[in-house]
Amino acid sequence: MKRLRRLLHTPEAIAGALILALLIAMALAAPLLFPGDPQAIAGPALLPPFRDWSLPLGTDRLGRDVLAELVHGARTSLAVGLAAAAAALLIGAVVGTLAGFAGGLIDEVLMRMTDAFQTVPSFLLALAFVSIVGPSLGVVVAAIAISAWTGPARVARAEVLSIRERDYVAGARVIGMHPLGIAFREVLPNALPPVLALSSVIVAAAILTEAALSFLGLGDPNRVTWGSMIAEGRTVLRTAPFLSIVPGVALVLTVLGVYLAGEGVVESTAVRRSLS
Amino acid sequence: MSELTISRRGLLAGSALLLVSTALPAIGFAQTPKKGGRLVLAADSEPRNLNPAIVASNGVFFISSKIVEALAEASFDGKDGLQPRLALSWEGAADGLSVTFKLRDGVKWHDGKPFSSADVAFSALQIWKPLQNLGRTVFKDLEAVDTPDELTAVFKFAKPTPFQLIRNALPALSSVVPKHLYENGKIEDNPANNAPVGTGPFKFAEYKAGQYYRLTRNDAYWGKDEPYLDEIVYQVLPDRTSAAAALEAEEIQLAAFSAVPLADLDRISKVPGLKVITKGYEGLTYQLVVEINHRRKELADLKVRQAIAHAIDKDFVVKTIFLGYAATATGPVPKSDPQFYTADVPTYPFDVAKANALLDEAGYKRADDGKRFALKLLPAPYFNETKQFGDYLRQALAAIGIDAEIVNNDSAAHIKAVYTDHAFDLAVGPPVFRGDPAISTTILVQSGIPDGVPFSNQGGYKNADLDALIVKASETLDTLARTGLYKEFQKKVAADLPLINVAEWSFISVARDTVGNIANNPRWAVSNWADTYLAG
Repeated sequence: MKRLRRLLHTPEAIAGALILALLIAMALAAPLLFPGDPQAIAGPALLPPFRDWSLPLGTDRLGRDVLAELVHGARTSLAVGLAAAAAALLIGAVVGTLAGFAGGLIDEVLMRMTDAFQTVPSFLLALAFVSIVGPSLGVVVAAIAISAWTGPARVARAEVLSIRERDYVAGARVIGMHPLGIAFREVLPNALPPVLALSSVIVAAAILTEAALSFLGLGDPNRVTWGSMIAEGRTVLRTAPFLSIVPGVALVLTVLGVYLAGEGVVESTAVRRSLS
Repeated sequence: MSELTISRRGLLAGSALLLVSTALPAIGFAQTPKKGGRLVLAADSEPRNLNPAIVASNGVFFISSKIVEALAEASFDGKDGLQPRLALSWEGAADGLSVTFKLRDGVKWHDGKPFSSADVAFSALQIWKPLQNLGRTVFKDLEAVDTPDELTAVFKFAKPTPFQLIRNALPALSSVVPKHLYENGKIEDNPANNAPVGTGPFKFAEYKAGQYYRLTRNDAYWGKDEPYLDEIVYQVLPDRTSAAAALEAEEIQLAAFSAVPLADLDRISKVPGLKVITKGYEGLTYQLVVEINHRRKELADLKVRQAIAHAIDKDFVVKTIFLGYAATATGPVPKSDPQFYTADVPTYPFDVAKANALLDEAGYKRADDGKRFALKLLPAPYFNETKQFGDYLRQALAAIGIDAEIVNNDSAAHIKAVYTDHAFDLAVGPPVFRGDPAISTTILVQSGIPDGVPFSNQGGYKNADLDALIVKASETLDTLARTGLYKEFQKKVAADLPLINVAEWSFISVARDTVGNIANNPRWAVSNWADTYLAG
């Protein structure tokens, strides 16, 4: 309770947490709210919003329910965002810990690899990966992860470099623990907090990257995604702008929510640290 | 500002003109074309090879038909639907072994050299027959071209070739290029492929990649007083939404080939000074087709194919996807074709219950999750409408228990997946009907076509009856008998469904009121525009 109160000590954090909670509830409840295929044709094409209360946000060019697509799209966006961020953090933390703890040649090799990945613009990397392997949800997650793991890797390495000189690490060495055991049992857990602080930025970036990939037609065509909804709406931008605006606003709110909530978490941990 | 000073005489003359124009509202239609001016229009693709004799496609014709002319052009009221261009007359021998063309006198190439029958013979034998995408089939039996004099070319065929087919092929397949520029070196690498030289009303001036193509007036053109325009500029606007904005901002005066999205037409037709024109594409009909891979055992079953045909609401497709700018299809020849079309074919009205019953009969019962079987669906990426129809088809198939998974590819990957690797179950394709089924339609169902030929039967369909009919029609010289055979062909295709024809559509032009003589032949957008003018 105390922790939660600390987490929600700023209005921004409260707003972020609220938006996120709402989105997650929406994503989880999507199959209950809108059972069946969200891409099914539900009414006349290009119905504007707020005209027919059974289709509150109107319909797209084929007559699909925009609200159903939006709610199901939240699932894809959040799933991709979280999965990609988790994968990126995992790869980054492992690579960073190995590099920082082992030092020497291994450190050099791993860090130069990180450099190599960082020199290529991350979106281009994702774009190239998806267009070669072919668009599907798993591939999109992997594509975003391989372009986002470098940040966590660098932060983790920097943390590990300072932690590995601590007394308890030396103690673990003395009692004969395997170096890998020390690295992942003793060092990594203590190096994690600053790495996790990156997560909000990575989730937000991952959601945007997914939307951009779908916008360019490289998302999974069998799922609704906000990016593909914006792309669909673009062809009728002048006559039915709501088709692009509605998913666009959803995207903005999600990224904002993730970011604000993430900031709240970072600040609350900072407060805790200064208190201890 | 000094240009704005108004003289009394000028004012009088101007107001008199105004009076006349209000008194005679019909004068606009009978107006004599005005000379001069630059026509700026939207181009959505940038073909690198501009030689229409090699690449007979609408993207190339759109630009190069103004530079390089064909022997004849399509016409609304001419004999056999043709009007003369480089050829004045054409006559087929009764045995189908020769066709004689009388050529136009006094025609000069853009570089000043005279045009003669040698150019026609060279183009036909060295380019149309061996190199051209469509000419390979139509001119496959062309053996020699005799040139008894400068203005006569006699095509000699090894096997009887229907004169009707040659006639129908003239507008698209007979672009004549200069022999003196092409006779040395490899034809495919000739620099004139990128900067074409022809006999047409406009000369190629320059091309700036990503920006524009510019054509200038050919002062030595054979047409009297033609062309009217001084310049044509193709502004490259690859983004479809920008063409409408450019028209409204008066940056361009014309957007052909549906450069303005269908959904915008309603709005744009209300903008003063702009007109929406649906004519002028009668000779360029695209067909929306579901291509079927008959190697899949479920799809090899006629009942399943019939079920799919019954599951598609063609009216919905025309109304919602094409917003009414299309027609429902009954078979492999479009309704708009005046020579071959027959409505007397088996039809498949929209009936989900019947489709479900057919699938049950075929032995594909619904599983517990309501699905019968799963398919891979590849919508062609070339048009918005083909992609949207892919989304619709997935829903239509879901209603009859077929779970279709959409696979999106870019153009090159789509062509490879469907026509070379056969890695599809259903595909959505836009083949073109070119005025005669033998040019590019029979190839869609004929068997024995090598792998990798785009827009051909790559679904593994084999029907000996249909193959025999196609061969027979290709050797039948009598126009009436040949037409009858193609009516039979339409019936057989509609009955056996090697593919499913859903709709036929053409294009829309949007132009400013000032552009005159628009859409005055069935292939207007890809004709020579010698008589197009800018008023006011």
